[in-house]
Amino acid sequence: MGAFRLMPFTRVHQNVREYEVFARKARVDSLRQVGSVVAPDDDLARAYARATYDEERWIEMVIVPKESMISLWAPGEDEP
Amino acid sequence: MRYAEWCTAAPSLEADIAAAAMGLDDLGHSRVLYGCLKELPDGESVDEGTYTNVRYLDQPWTDWSQFVAANAVLDTAFTLMIESLAGGNVELLRSRLRKMLQEERYHYLHGRSWLREAPARDAVVSAWGEALEWFGPDGGDVDQLKKAGKIALGVPELRRSLEEKLETNAPSAGIAWDRWNPITRRTSEGGIDQGTLDMLQGLAEKRYMPAGGQRVEV
Repeated sequence: MGAFRLMPFTRVHQNVREYEVFARKARVDSLRQVGSVVAPDDDLARAYARATYDEERWIEMVIVPKESMISLWAPGEDEP
Repeated sequence: MRYAEWCTAAPSLEADIAAAAMGLDDLGHSRVLYGCLKELPDGESVDEGTYTNVRYLDQPWTDWSQFVAANAVLDTAFTLMIESLAGGNVELLRSRLRKMLQEERYHYLHGRSWLREAPARDAVVSAWGEALEWFGPDGGDVDQLKKAGKIALGVPELRRSLEEKLETNAPSAGIAWDRWNPITRRTSEGGIDQGTLDMLQGLAEKRYMPAGGQRVEV
């Protein structure tokens, strides 16, 4: 049976993207990052984000491809 | 239940989690539908001793392609029927099935994407045939309910919508309607084994309860 079989952690997709997941609980809140998912396309990323992070009562959830995020500076770097 | 069996065996960690989440969703949907059945004004009496399922769920799946086909084809067929119920003139169903459809949207996205990723031809043919059996024959009970306005989609619309959703034509499947059972909505005998049924009904968990049936808070 497929269940309860120990399986090494694998990624079957050839081309995957990382998506950052943002959510908020109330209109007055700002969106904040709650995690990330890895998926080969936007639809699967939606499904994975919802499955992984929907335990809380978010009023909004958004995913963003990590590659679309423009970094200004990062830990260990000086502010330009 | 079959989804949940893959919660540690899917091809990626995200797919493991999605399998568990979709399994939980569908158990919840079963509860809502069962509750509706008891409340429908002209509902038939509920025979609590019986259980039936499509043949595809009789045995645990042994290959991920079977999961993908069930998720893409059977779950979408199920969702179309829920859409049909929610779009009919029965107020109870119109109001109560909305959340179910919101959740099923993600099952659909998951199934459709995986179908593109991991073609599952044989499993799809099998699942599709069973979806058609479950919809029922032309001019049968589903079409009668459509005629009465209780549901929004008849059998031809359900079949066509399934093709549209999955962006492909139905595989040709000769269904032996003369063997079709209108109660089980399938042409074959059989079903899930007693152990699986016990798990579905929560009976399998009882052995973990202390004598006297007191719940242990952990």
